[in-house]
Amino acid sequence: MDLNNTGESSVHSDSIMHSSSRRSISSYHSRTSAANSVREVNFGDLGSRAQTYGSKSAESEGFGTSRKEINDEDARLIYINDPAKTNEKYEFSSNSIRTSKYSIITFVPRNLFEQFHRVAYIYFLAIAILNQLPQLAVFGRGASILPLAFVLFVSAIKDAYEDWRRHRSDKVENSRLASVLVNGQFQMKQWKHIQVGEIIKVTSNQTLPCDIVLLSTSDSTGVAYVQTINLDGESNLKSRYAKQETLSVNPEKENIGGTIKCEKPNRNIYGFQANMEVDGKKMSLGPSNIILRGCELKNTDWVIGVAVYTGRETKAMLNSSGSPSKRSRLETQMNREIILLSLFLVALCTIVSTLFGVWLARHKSELNTLPYYRKKTYADGHEEDYNYSGWALEIFFTFLMSVIVFQIMIPISLYISMEIVRVGQAYFMIRDPNMYAENSHSRFQCRALNINEDLGQIKYVFSDKTGTLTENKMEFKCASIYGVDYSNEAASEQAEQVGYSVQVDGQALRPKMKVKADPELQRMAESGKETHEGRQIHDFFLALAACNTIVPILMDSDEPTVRLIDYQGESPDEQALVYAAAAYGFMLIERTSGHIVIDVQGERQRFDVLGLHEFDSDRKRMSVILGCPDKSVKVFAKGADTAMFGVINKSLNLDVISATEAHLHKYSSLGLRTLVIGMRELNGAEFEQWQSSYEAASTALLGRAAKLRRVASNVEKNLSTLGASGIEDKLQEGVPETIESLRLAGIKVWVLTGDKQETAISIGYSSKLVTSEMTQIIINSSSKESCRRRLQEALDLSRNRTMGSSPIALIIDGTSLVYVLDSELEEELFLLASDCAVVLCCRVAPLQKAGIVALIKNRTDDMTLAIGDGANDVSMIQVADVGVGISGQEGRQAVMASDFAMGQFRFLAPLLFVHGHWNYQRMGYMILYNFYRNAVFVFLLFWYTLFTDYTLTTAITDWSSMLYSVIYSSLPTIVVGILDKDLSRTTLLKYPQLYGAGQREECYNPKLFWITMIDTLWQSIVLYFIPLAAYWKTIVDGSSLGDLWTLAVVILVNLHLAMDIIRWNWIIHAVIWGSIIATIICVIIIDAIPILPGYWAVFHVMSTGPFWLCLLAVPIAAMIPRFIVKVSTQYFCPGDIQIAREAEKFGSWNIQGGGGGIEMIPTSNFLQRQ
Amino acid sequence: MNSNATTTSLGTGSAESSAPRRNSKRPKYSRFTQQELPACKPILTPRWVITAFLLVSVIFIPIGVASLLASRKVVEIVDRYDAECVNATTKSERVKYIQGPGDKTCNRTLRVPKHMKAPVHIYYQLDNFYQNHRRYVKSRSDEQLRDNHSASEVSSCKPEDTANGNPIVPCGLIAWSLFNDTYSFAINNRNLTVNKKGISWKSDRDHKFGKDVYPKNFQNGTLIGGAHLNSSMSLHEQEDLIVWMRTAALPTFRKFYGKIEEDLQANDVIHVTLKNYYNTYSFNGKKMLVLSTTSWLGGKNNFLGIAYLSVGGLCFFLAMLFSLIYLVKPRRLGDPSYLSWNRNPGGH
Repeated sequence: MDLNNTGESSVHSDSIMHSSSRRSISSYHSRTSAANSVREVNFGDLGSRAQTYGSKSAESEGFGTSRKEINDEDARLIYINDPAKTNEKYEFSSNSIRTSKYSIITFVPRNLFEQFHRVAYIYFLAIAILNQLPQLAVFGRGASILPLAFVLFVSAIKDAYEDWRRHRSDKVENSRLASVLVNGQFQMKQWKHIQVGEIIKVTSNQTLPCDIVLLSTSDSTGVAYVQTINLDGESNLKSRYAKQETLSVNPEKENIGGTIKCEKPNRNIYGFQANMEVDGKKMSLGPSNIILRGCELKNTDWVIGVAVYTGRETKAMLNSSGSPSKRSRLETQMNREIILLSLFLVALCTIVSTLFGVWLARHKSELNTLPYYRKKTYADGHEEDYNYSGWALEIFFTFLMSVIVFQIMIPISLYISMEIVRVGQAYFMIRDPNMYAENSHSRFQCRALNINEDLGQIKYVFSDKTGTLTENKMEFKCASIYGVDYSNEAASEQAEQVGYSVQVDGQALRPKMKVKADPELQRMAESGKETHEGRQIHDFFLALAACNTIVPILMDSDEPTVRLIDYQGESPDEQALVYAAAAYGFMLIERTSGHIVIDVQGERQRFDVLGLHEFDSDRKRMSVILGCPDKSVKVFAKGADTAMFGVINKSLNLDVISATEAHLHKYSSLGLRTLVIGMRELNGAEFEQWQSSYEAASTALLGRAAKLRRVASNVEKNLSTLGASGIEDKLQEGVPETIESLRLAGIKVWVLTGDKQETAISIGYSSKLVTSEMTQIIINSSSKESCRRRLQEALDLSRNRTMGSSPIALIIDGTSLVYVLDSELEEELFLLASDCAVVLCCRVAPLQKAGIVALIKNRTDDMTLAIGDGANDVSMIQVADVGVGISGQEGRQAVMASDFAMGQFRFLAPLLFVHGHWNYQRMGYMILYNFYRNAVFVFLLFWYTLFTDYTLTTAITDWSSMLYSVIYSSLPTIVVGILDKDLSRTTLLKYPQLYGAGQREECYNPKLFWITMIDTLWQSIVLYFIPLAAYWKTIVDGSSLGDLWTLAVVILVNLHLAMDIIRWNWIIHAVIWGSIIATIICVIIIDAIPILPGYWAVFHVMSTGPFWLCLLAVPIAAMIPRFIVKVSTQYFCPGDIQIAREAEKFGSWNIQGGGGGIEMIPTSNFLQRQ
Repeated sequence: MNSNATTTSLGTGSAESSAPRRNSKRPKYSRFTQQELPACKPILTPRWVITAFLLVSVIFIPIGVASLLASRKVVEIVDRYDAECVNATTKSERVKYIQGPGDKTCNRTLRVPKHMKAPVHIYYQLDNFYQNHRRYVKSRSDEQLRDNHSASEVSSCKPEDTANGNPIVPCGLIAWSLFNDTYSFAINNRNLTVNKKGISWKSDRDHKFGKDVYPKNFQNGTLIGGAHLNSSMSLHEQEDLIVWMRTAALPTFRKFYGKIEEDLQANDVIHVTLKNYYNTYSFNGKKMLVLSTTSWLGGKNNFLGIAYLSVGGLCFFLAMLFSLIYLVKPRRLGDPSYLSWNRNPGGH
């Protein structure tokens, strides 16, 4: 790479200082010291060199705000290279970042504050506080605070651990080194010490430590390339410019002084406005002059800039916010039942307090004589009421006390258990090697920890196409050159894999990617441009190599003699074309702002890039004006077929055009992406005219983009066709199979793509989304009326369809969606779409994607999942119930917004069918079980209260009551929630239909809730009344009977869980039996404390016969009804899951295909029937 | 520079060239992380269901029979005396009687229905007395009972914490309401010795009621709740108090009074002389005197036997029922034709 001498170019920049103070208009002369082997062609004094990046910066100019004067109040003033003065008035934030929330000192108060944002904890706290009032003290002080303290403690440990990890990563980030100008010399400095106003030098492949305004770069034009992948997820290189006025600055030699007045820090990463004053020259700065923290410098040796925003004021940090938190469907439904439970709670409390009121009224006169009540006290020598505040207050206190006693009716511990279970489930999802992407080395990521179970209930999958279904790796497949089709399908077998390489300075240059080349075409390309055909081929590949914005980057390879060229650019299509051109001997070797070097069949040729009209969505094509070595000036253009045939001179070679059109049709029906390439030679007059208008347009202050577009359309006309290219958009591995499984599972797959209709349909075919027997309904209307008509017709069609007729595929484009979404037509589209087997939306804008997801989400209760990889999928991912990001090529934007991220589309199958199914089943059961577990305990206390004169003496000691949901019965449900699984992975993957259990809400629904509650009532009656009847009229004391109940309830709830466990592994065994043993130990310990009333009670009660008889009878009698119901439903109306379990156990799966009896219908048959 | 990437060629990928380094992020395989720990997957097959029901009935029916037999063997004499021992019909008169002065001796005769083997336990049974009332159960001080130096630990004893400005030992409602009816027994004018030693729990005597704690200031207040205590006997020896302080779980309860350490013959007539001091009249409570032998099951209680027999019987019936069902309507387990999508192909 040749570097420009900055001093030399400064001479030139002086001469054009008047032209623009806004942009780095590059009027530098092409006196670049070119590589020696290049034949230098100079256009002499054609004036200022056409600016390669003209239209690009014109667009950035479109922000149009840089002209505005920045208000003094809203501005920050930066003295370049004078951080002391800069920070004198206002202390700007330092460059150290802190993503951690707490420090050691603030941890306790802040963490508590954060935790009490949860309603559940407030409830806990309120109950604990109530219990501290002397009138209401049901439990001992310590015992009542224990559960809350435990929960807070566990959460605090979790938070502390997470924060510690953030502290660690912050520390690593903050101690990275950057080169900073100190006392006229660049020295290494830790990132955290960088201050606003300092001058920073960043070299190639380094990450920017803060937001800097560019002063100069290694490129003589002041251009610098950056990769913004960490910021907006786009992997392509973006160009940034240093101001012409500061280009020559060498801060190590001369002292640079000046000021920058810029806006206050904000989070707009695409906007920036500032004024800079250097040496008395004033200029304004725009978004193209700033490089943001987190970007990586590429393809540029170094840049020098001034730090303007640091630390948390950088745009990257201001933008770093997590994805919006979602709440799982199951949890929403659970909250509905929790409201019911709180009604139960109120009902129980009302019953107790009413009965107490009745008792009080009936015994009003006796209160003072009742030995167990004794209203009056004479202790202080005079008569007064003891702990009695009138009947109304007494009833009220009774109510409050019963709330305290029955508090666990609301299963607060459930929230904690659910969080722990989700962490456990996430652990297993992350550790699943079946969801590990080999090619990108990315593991599955669980970014949201609260919607694991939603994965088991998905009914709609909205998928992006590019990068999600397809790899976004384009492969050049075939070309049609001058009406001749060169499809290298036949040749692909013996295709050359070595790839083309050229020798430079004893080193071989080779493209990084190898392309299978058609040997015949290769031979013809080598033959030179003697023949007419050869010339066409030459021009065709020249166009491929030149007409793009690809930047070649040289890299070392394993072999010392070989260097590799990596083509980097915005569009993967262009990359594929350039690689293809290289394979045919047209290797793009170098690109600077003014010229490109192409190695044409071993001969280095230098082309001057006189002008480049970038792709825009109106023209749908791009063109480049090249000054060729033979002094001719040529326009090369490439673009979509529709856009190109409009500008092609139809009078020339009609048969070539029609042949090309035929080939295009063939290519696109194969699912290839097509581009048409055209060319025209400009004569002197045309060139002059273009050049003057181009220059005028690119230096225009207002409406530059529109003017450039007009210039482009003037020159892109009367082109002659060179040919067309077909690029294969490779499907990702396993996509068709996954889509088929999803459909089998009753999930509707919608593909939303920005691609054109034909491409979308062809991808639909290749991914088996659309099959040939489907009826296609295509809606691409350009007005609301026709849209309405078309929808109506389609609706009629779908309604008149009989059972056996073919399924419908709906294809609708973005234009029609404009009329449909947010209008009354939405409803019709919804009706139509819900009838269709497949929906393909093409040419949709990012926001439309979100609109389509919302269309389904708002009208049905069905769960939606959106999967995508690009920044354009972010809105869709955030709107859907579950957002999945593909951590692939297009960067991290989608991943950042997603709830789950994974490497490939096909992981959707294990994610939904295996983990989603398990998570849903586990969580659904766990919620019901926790309701039961707490309610049975509360009912036990309630029944006892009825036998204590409604005074809320607890049957079970304080400590046991509190430990019940903490130690006695919490671990089994958590472990079962993490480890139990109803069916094996193999079965679930093999029969996606089993996924229907989650869609039909089989594991958690109101019916199950009520059944559980009735069961709970029965179990609590058995649990309470068997010991009661056995010990009625005996000498049993309260503590002994309490111990019996404690043990009985714990054994009961654990056996209840045991009965429902599907897979018993050693951990589950350990935890279930361990809990029962732990309970016995705890009860013994509690009863071994002499100070408590229940001292030694458990040993006494254990020595009596009825104790053991009760302990045996209670669980059996309590569970008989449940057992009968379970057995009967499993036997008489078995669900799919049950059948599959049986088949798994007894091996009837294996006889499939073995003959005999009814077999599982093979998946392909099923597809056809559907 | 990523050497791996450079060797990657388009299309073919380079899975075969995966170096160990490449697998560094790949989750390690283990049976645990794969959730494939060896596990037992019980399924409720007909055989299992019938076996389970039969097993329960086989265990429960003998236990039920044994319990019933044990209960039948227990000989129990229950004599309710609260009404008969008061010469009054209305509640207020009874209360007046019990609170008034005078001799409250009452004579009862009991006939022994069957031979009662020694030791015969003597209980008193109270009814409608809520010893589990929360005002009541809380009103005690375990520190004070245990330790001589904690005599003033009476804060939890309200409303019987202090009398005349001094702390009461033992304080609290429970101790204050100590049962004070007494019984003496005679057969054919021969007095039966009632052994009142060892009626309380040894654990209570040893660890909850201190040997050096003596009653102080007890029943000195305005209201007298129940028994007076011999202030020269340490609480450790006051077994009636210790028994009483172990509050009953349920509102109908018995308390150990003593033991008769000799056999009682069938048709023996026992003369009971009792002092009817305790006021249950103000809350319509019943008082009963109970003489009972014991078995491994405790006292006479048919409930457990009946419960066991019913559960066992029900399970036997269910076992039969399910056998019948499985015979009449068999279903091949794991038969794929029962799967919803096979039963109803294409139907949605």
